[in-house]
Amino acid sequence: MADIIVSILVSGLVLGSLYALMASGLSMVWTTLGIFNFAHGVSMTVGAYVAYEIAQRLGPDLWVGYSILLALIVMVVVGAAFEYLLIRPFYGRDDMVLVTIMTTLAGLTFLENGVLTIWGPRLKQLEPLIPGNISYGLVNISRQELIIVLVAPVILLALFLVLNHTQIGRAIRAVGQNQKSAQLIGIPVTRMFLVSFGLAAALAGLAGMLLAGVRLMTPTMGADPLMKALIVVIFGGLGSVGGSIGAAYVIGFLEAILIFTVGIYWTPSMLFLLMVLVLLFRPQGLFGAKNPSSL
Amino acid sequence: MINRPLAIAAALILLLLLPLVLQGPYIRHLFILAFLFAIVAASWDLTLGLTGLFNFGHIAFFGLGVYTAGILTTQAGVDPWLVIPIAGIVAALAAFVVAAPTLRLRGIYVVLVTFAFSQLCLQVVMSQGDLTGGAGGIVRVPSLRISDYNFARDQRLGYYYVSLVLSLACIAALVAIARSPLGKTARAVRDNPEYAAARGIDQMRIRLTMLVISAIPTGIAGALYCIYFRVAAPEVFSFSTSTLILTMLLVGGAGSIVGPAVAAVGIVMISEYLEQFPDLKATKHMLLAVGIILVLRFFPGGLAQISANLFARSPKTVGVTPERVP
Repeated sequence: MADIIVSILVSGLVLGSLYALMASGLSMVWTTLGIFNFAHGVSMTVGAYVAYEIAQRLGPDLWVGYSILLALIVMVVVGAAFEYLLIRPFYGRDDMVLVTIMTTLAGLTFLENGVLTIWGPRLKQLEPLIPGNISYGLVNISRQELIIVLVAPVILLALFLVLNHTQIGRAIRAVGQNQKSAQLIGIPVTRMFLVSFGLAAALAGLAGMLLAGVRLMTPTMGADPLMKALIVVIFGGLGSVGGSIGAAYVIGFLEAILIFTVGIYWTPSMLFLLMVLVLLFRPQGLFGAKNPSSL
Repeated sequence: MINRPLAIAAALILLLLLPLVLQGPYIRHLFILAFLFAIVAASWDLTLGLTGLFNFGHIAFFGLGVYTAGILTTQAGVDPWLVIPIAGIVAALAAFVVAAPTLRLRGIYVVLVTFAFSQLCLQVVMSQGDLTGGAGGIVRVPSLRISDYNFARDQRLGYYYVSLVLSLACIAALVAIARSPLGKTARAVRDNPEYAAARGIDQMRIRLTMLVISAIPTGIAGALYCIYFRVAAPEVFSFSTSTLILTMLLVGGAGSIVGPAVAAVGIVMISEYLEQFPDLKATKHMLLAVGIILVLRFFPGGLAQISANLFARSPKTVGVTPERVP
């Protein structure tokens, strides 16, 4: 019994960390731009494949340091280009929310098939950062998963500090709260859009790189994490990055428990049901900031 | 200025006589596919375009129609003719299920729930392998026949007419609904929800009605799709199917019902033409994606907008961007 509880805890922690990395970016783009980015999951795929390509060229030994950094820089550029091409032209339109859903869906299709064209459908895997497993008492975890569990909170804490205590982070939040006023006090609003899209893409890309060391890479690998991130942001309340991070861990643990109790096949349905219940009774999310205007 | 009823009559006669000219199973296959997708695109337009309901799970109704037909015919031995209306009913019930959590929500939350619903359907289909065949799908679905005549014979002549008649009937019904007081009310809810509410319109009821109505033809089209291809595969729930139909809707002009149906014919032709080159499969989807963005950027009214200038008496169609009354 104790070993089951421990393994549920471990797998919940791993899942929660991944979802937190995904959901934070999704939520950040929503707060600043009021855009739900359906291509967020595919950013994860692109990140993993870019890292794979770089690892192929520079050699797997080098990949730990430079390659991750290089891949993250590529992701920032991809995210910014995405904003520039698919979001900016529609800015200020009445039906912007609807139109950008369609453009990001189109972007998702484009990138997913682009990955398929460039790298092919065959399964790929990144070398784990550190191979092997760790056993400590009842805990049994692969080192790569341990890295995910340890890295995610660090990155998320860094994100929190950036958003709350740096000028650029305050500017991003100001744009999210009131665009016109932000513009009036001299914040370059459009540049903030680029920044938050780039940052979100980098976060998703990082999640992809970490995941690709544990699971196999396919061009559609981003679909399931996007789905989970979607449930997470609803659960946590769309408008709050912090709420999303908290909800990510809740959902991670819940998924781990559900897999053990109802089995892997019924888990998605149960999570969906839960999401529906949250929407019915607490549409602002469990930890959500009350923001009825975004409803 | 072209006479509108005359143009419609001419188009109908053309479609009825087309098989005389188009010999060969492949070209008829293209038209059958186009007719089926025309139903899906036009009925999606009823919720997304006309009612302004951010329904992104429409493909789920289609997929449910496909699987209803597949499961009932192969596992319960139900007659394929009977399965077609049943699929419509199943899709309508599914619409009720989706509607329950979405009715009170607005905007992005509706998108999330409907989208999640379609993904959930896919996951259930994949996981219930005993019933649905999992990733392999259901094969050997029985074909439509009257006594001994298989509808796939004579170069698919039977399927051509069945899908044509169903398609015309569904689209006519959808157009009639769009023009009825119900359709006008839906448009009011889309263009100015506050004013509509002030005039005593029950928005929740309108949205529920429209969602259920739009699901029925979609389920029917799904069932016929399954019976025609004689398989039910999980790809029907996929993003690419959704994107394909969204392209039809946008190119045709959201909110115009007929526009997406007409666009479906053209887009199925292009998409199936590219399907001949297996290497270009991914490229095809990339092209569709670029198409969506270009249409949204430069022709937000779609074909309907263009033809509205052509036909004198055609009602003013509104694109995805309704002009709001301040």
